[in-house]
Amino acid sequence: MLCMAGMKLVSAFAAFLFCVSGADAHESIFAWTYTTDLTPKGHGEFEQWITPRWEKEHGSYGVIDFREEFEYGVTDDFQIALYLNHRYVYAKDDIPVANPTHPKKLLPGVFETGGEDVHAGHDPTKPFDSYHFESVSFESIYRLLSPYKAPIGLALYFEPSIGDQETELEWKILVQKNWLEDRLVWALNINYELEFEKETGDWERDGAFEWFTGISYRFISNWSAGLEFRNHHEFADAAVHEHSAYFVGPTIHYGGERWWASIGFLHQLPIGEAFSQDNKEFAAHDGYIFGDEHEKYYVRLKVGFNF
Amino acid sequence: MRKSEFAFFALPVSALVAPSTFAVQYLTVDQAQRAIFPGKSLTASPVKLAPPQCKAIEQASGVRVLHDEQQVWRVSGGGWFIVDEVVGKHEFITYAIGLNANGSVKRIEVMDYRETYGGEIRNENWRAQFVGKTSQSPLKLDRDIKNISGATLSCRHITDGVKRLLALHEIVLKRS
Repeated sequence: MLCMAGMKLVSAFAAFLFCVSGADAHESIFAWTYTTDLTPKGHGEFEQWITPRWEKEHGSYGVIDFREEFEYGVTDDFQIALYLNHRYVYAKDDIPVANPTHPKKLLPGVFETGGEDVHAGHDPTKPFDSYHFESVSFESIYRLLSPYKAPIGLALYFEPSIGDQETELEWKILVQKNWLEDRLVWALNINYELEFEKETGDWERDGAFEWFTGISYRFISNWSAGLEFRNHHEFADAAVHEHSAYFVGPTIHYGGERWWASIGFLHQLPIGEAFSQDNKEFAAHDGYIFGDEHEKYYVRLKVGFNF
Repeated sequence: MRKSEFAFFALPVSALVAPSTFAVQYLTVDQAQRAIFPGKSLTASPVKLAPPQCKAIEQASGVRVLHDEQQVWRVSGGGWFIVDEVVGKHEFITYAIGLNANGSVKRIEVMDYRETYGGEIRNENWRAQFVGKTSQSPLKLDRDIKNISGATLSCRHITDGVKRLLALHEIVLKRS
């Protein structure tokens, strides 16, 4: 199953960091939603993300996304970061098969191995099992308003990612509002993403608009708990609205002096809508949206260490 | 799940529930009293706030009253010593304030601070900004109180806490 060498390496690195890190500052109280809190000027942070996501309409499908992130505070209001993205994928008979005589219709009850995370050229009759490096991302966040000084926090985010199969550009607007001595935090992210994906030798362009929102309350010292919501809209060729998918789930966060951790769960809600004929036929199933973009369940663990 | 896979996920989860072990108490109540009012005798005079008093303090300071009980000492020759706590990034920050007989701030001392950034709030220069402040002072971050990089929340909450205690003096202690 999992790539053992990679697992041992990441485990050893995590153990090392748990032993030696000696500070704590900027931290994500949500698993998916960003706040406007940034790493202070002259300080850095390392984050490890682990995101298992699984279950499509049929067969077996599971991905574990790994991300190592190094952040640095250029000023108190401007932060840059470098990510390494890599993943483990297992897929078997997970996507519907098109009818050879009517390519816009599926063959009822027939499935093959495929999807966005399965390499182009893989034999669709066989299971796919791979651990591979995905991309490098560069992130920059500029904060316009701090929620501790102004009525709301406001920040702008830009992230290009470069990989051998996919190149992405992502923009976000981050909003934060605090109440109850900053123990109750609400955040909203409005995101737009342009993807350039390599499909059978050619580059294909897709667009995604999505928004995340989360609310979290620090119920005792060090511990916060909350709820997050995600709505994703996919656009083929960055123009044709294909679908809208909805997700919701709880998040719990621990913040200490030396490190912090957040873990969140998202469940796709069976209220998704497919708009394009292709998505109606191949991606929508019982109110869920699968296709290349979505799974039914997501868990994300983020652990951060400041220096 | 195989044993190695379990260990992979168990490591960060076990760390997640591990208690924080680096909390530091810089000053005890006795040490804070001697630092602010050296050579003076202090008499415990705890205050239990009635709901109308809480409301009056909140209206005067613009800061919510979290606890209706306040640790207060009366100082021989005039003045007050108060131990208070405000919300920090992760835990409560405990600090002490000395008030002169006229209600102005004599000095503040940070007794307990558990946040990584913003340890500078213990520095004499940052605390000195509060000396002489009264209930009429603005006590606003970036206006008459300087912020500390990476610790805006802690700075604002201590500033708000001092504003609230000055209102406590004006509404309750001055009349006792």
